Amino acid sequence: MDNLNDLKAIWLNVKTDSLPNSEQMVAIIKAYKNKTLQRLVLLIVAAFFMIALMLFTGYVYDFKFLSSKIGEGLIVFSGAILIATNLNSLNRFYKLNVCSNKEYIEFLKQTRLRQLFYFRYTQVAGLVFSFIGLILYLYELVYKNQIVMITCYLLLVLYFTVIFFYFRPKSFKKGSAKLNLELDKLQCIEQQF
Amino acid sequence: MSDLNFKEIYETYSSQIYRVCLGYVNDQEQAKDLMQETFISVWKNLSSFRHQSKISTWIFRIATNNCLRHLEKAKRIITTELPYQIEEKEEVKQDDKVLFLYRCISELEETDRLIISLVLEDLPQAEIATIIGLSVGNIRVKVHRIKEKLTSKFKKNGQFE
Repeated sequence: MDNLNDLKAIWLNVKTDSLPNSEQMVAIIKAYKNKTLQRLVLLIVAAFFMIALMLFTGYVYDFKFLSSKIGEGLIVFSGAILIATNLNSLNRFYKLNVCSNKEYIEFLKQTRLRQLFYFRYTQVAGLVFSFIGLILYLYELVYKNQIVMITCYLLLVLYFTVIFFYFRPKSFKKGSAKLNLELDKLQCIEQQF
Repeated sequence: MSDLNFKEIYETYSSQIYRVCLGYVNDQEQAKDLMQETFISVWKNLSSFRHQSKISTWIFRIATNNCLRHLEKAKRIITTELPYQIEEKEEVKQDDKVLFLYRCISELEETDRLIISLVLEDLPQAEIATIIGLSVGNIRVKVHRIKEKLTSKFKKNGQFE
């Protein structure tokens, strides 16, 4: 008995009636929205918009204090970090699927490690730069009125505290747990090659 | 990109890709999702396909890479409202031997699942080696071991008698 041919006969016996036909598949493709890609593009567009707005304000409103210019520079820098990192991710995203399984696993592993690095360091750096930038940037606008200054800085500190100590740890915990799980799985597959 | 060209490719490979995905996940719905993801990638990249490899190699690479990336069980294909209603087809009842084979395959290690699925799809070992990224000799050894594992499971279960 030829066991492989027996297995082949069984293998090919699987019913495929539930698959969409080619017309339906084209309709599915045309309606398909890649959420991850959309989110990345939106983030890049928002960061570009923020940088343009900052530069435009700096051009129209003639700042006198050096702190405002440094603040503006730091905010623009944090936006640039966001754009550079996400453009890089977008570039990697388009390179997917073109290699062998072995290369692909290595590629995925590197991508997940980069995502972990982004969570751990890049995101923190972006937040710190924009926080310090905003503190410096707003000083010229609020220093004349003490009540406005205190209120403004209190709100700013409160906003960043909530982001930094509530939302970020929460999303980090969720994101890093998922990434670590994926990394374990990828390492396990890598060993099979 | 021509719809006609894509449709031809889809008609030729959809069942094969579905079986490979089913061998990997052993779940009809997830296999259908993976098959659809594969053809979304094929659609997007068909115009840039340079014929440096056979089209079958290229499509099976996309499919097997998608399988390897598949970790979570959640439904992955998210679509906006479709231009017309595609009827929801009920899960098909499969033959017992078919169910047993796909279950046995899904219990193998990830790379072994892919290798045996491609063997059962009658792909030459050289092509499988290109898709997986191992040497032909390595694939030959692996195929031999997987075949032994599967046939012994089938014999234990009395399926070849």
